[in-house]
Amino acid sequence: MKQLVRTFALVFVAAFALMILASYLNKSQGYSGGNTLTIYNWGDYIDPDLLKEFEQESGMKVIYQTFDSNEAMLTKIEQGGTTFDVAIPSEYAISKMKEEKLLVPIDHNKLPNLKNIDSRFLNLNYDPDNQFSIPYFWGTVGIVYNPELVGGLTFDSWNDLWDPRLKNQILLLDGAREVIGMGLNSLGYSLNDTNEDHLQAALQKLSTLTPNVRAIVGDEIKMLLANEEAAVGLVWSGDASEIMDQNDKLDYKVPEEGSNLWFDSMVIPKTAKNVDGAHQFINFMLDPDHAARNAEYVGYSTPNAEALKQLPEDISEDERFYPDETLTSKLEVYNNLGKKMLSHYNDLFLEFKMHSK
Amino acid sequence: MGRNGKLSNVYLAVVFAILYAPIAYLIFYSFNSGGHMRGFEGFTLEWYREVFADTRLLIIVLNTFIIALLSSAISTILGVAGALAIYHVRRKRTKNTLLSLNNVLIVSPDVIIGASFLILFTMIGIKLGFTSVLLSHIAFSVPIVVIMVLPKLQEMSPTLMDAARDLGAGSWQILTRVVLPYVKPGIFAGFFMALTYSLDDFAVTFFVTGNGYSTLSVEIYSRARQGVSLSINALSTLLFLLTVLLVVGYYFINRRAARIPAGGKGLRP
Repeated sequence: MKQLVRTFALVFVAAFALMILASYLNKSQGYSGGNTLTIYNWGDYIDPDLLKEFEQESGMKVIYQTFDSNEAMLTKIEQGGTTFDVAIPSEYAISKMKEEKLLVPIDHNKLPNLKNIDSRFLNLNYDPDNQFSIPYFWGTVGIVYNPELVGGLTFDSWNDLWDPRLKNQILLLDGAREVIGMGLNSLGYSLNDTNEDHLQAALQKLSTLTPNVRAIVGDEIKMLLANEEAAVGLVWSGDASEIMDQNDKLDYKVPEEGSNLWFDSMVIPKTAKNVDGAHQFINFMLDPDHAARNAEYVGYSTPNAEALKQLPEDISEDERFYPDETLTSKLEVYNNLGKKMLSHYNDLFLEFKMHSK
Repeated sequence: MGRNGKLSNVYLAVVFAILYAPIAYLIFYSFNSGGHMRGFEGFTLEWYREVFADTRLLIIVLNTFIIALLSSAISTILGVAGALAIYHVRRKRTKNTLLSLNNVLIVSPDVIIGASFLILFTMIGIKLGFTSVLLSHIAFSVPIVVIMVLPKLQEMSPTLMDAARDLGAGSWQILTRVVLPYVKPGIFAGFFMALTYSLDDFAVTFFVTGNGYSTLSVEIYSRARQGVSLSINALSTLLFLLTVLLVVGYYFINRRAARIPAGGKGLRP
């Protein structure tokens, strides 16, 4: 009995000692003030120095939390319980949040730095007039390939993927809109096409791709490509830049028929307690200097035109991540197709997955 | 024996190699100066330095341990009480029902437990953070403690309690001087099980963290999206060493506990 009591007393003492240490660390970080701003972002998606600078500049304490998927973020915000002041979802999640009335309109008067954003990235279909969202990073869907293993293919066209030399060499990311979209694009149709004949044609076309498809995978696609498990992969540009960081033999290409243009944007959820602070933070991130540093740290493409000018040329002139006008004009943002059409896309994708092997 | 014994040894070695290879791989690359897990470029302690420089990560590590220690201690106390209660239920059917209800909680998927806690906490207005994580960890640990303690109780001869009562012991004395010392190994086993469960739980914790409060599993998972940085390797190495220490500690406690009766001191408290 004595031993039991002693052990458990020790456990409690240890726990409280750790608590004191944790609260001391918290204080040294200054996380305990009343004036706080809670930010909900993807893991490792901001330069941590910027958060510190923002704290100093605004006098607010930043509570920073991370998520790993739009769906997880949506669940947390829908359920309430945590008061996030700023969140950074992707555009399709933003349409959903708008529909479900989870967002606070953004007051553009409080964002003098909004003028720095390239007008190409404003006023887009998923959020007209940027009433609810301000672009944070953007990118494309394209092809990562290993020039040594593809026998001179350059992927100027999606149709290069169908080349018989690529037998069992292609990894696809597991996304209905990305893969069906690629099928539509390769036939010259829009990514947002809802014409049944066009969709069936795309499915037909995709089914002839199956001999070349090695696997349809999730996030592990980055690791597999970096380790040269396959010669070609269909990926988002953000992933591509990471893959190429890890293995500089690889190259990235957005085919000329066009592709998807995606956005991660800053929004203010309905649960926000510090709406003023949220505006201050968004404006802070729109500052050219801050946006440039952030883009350099994260490695994704910034929508901030002024920031782009400040970036070193080897980044800003990299046409793989900052494509020229001709290509950008062919990039399309996903429209919200509505529940019914979206599930049709999913069904088609499932059919494709079932038939590939 | 002979050949057969050799074969089973080889088999055992292979199984352990498979179990430990990923951990060894991860530890090996935590010293890689190259910054990735393909090809070793040179020895460095940079990633360990990075771990200790990242205050947010350290706070999260501390949080994880605070939650693990508190939740396992509290749930051990609750679980022992629960096991005693189930043990003392007379009717067989009620007893079995209670035990099944306990077991259902052990086998039910973490995701469902997590989601229901999230709904419960937001409904009754508990702010997500320390309290919600602690409460849910206690909740999923209690059934484990019960199931570790109950067999020990059932193993105990009922005549022991009768004898104690005959010798004039009150209920409290019987509990603290006979029953608890007898089931002590079960209590410690339950405590350590709860500790490890709490340390590595992701699914439940994911739902109930909030307001800047996070635990290690949740943090590592959300960082993994950008590719796991080697500082996570370094951190995992440190934690692995710590768990090894814990297990060794547990082993020694057990050995001491086992030695006492052999030394002739019997059930002396």
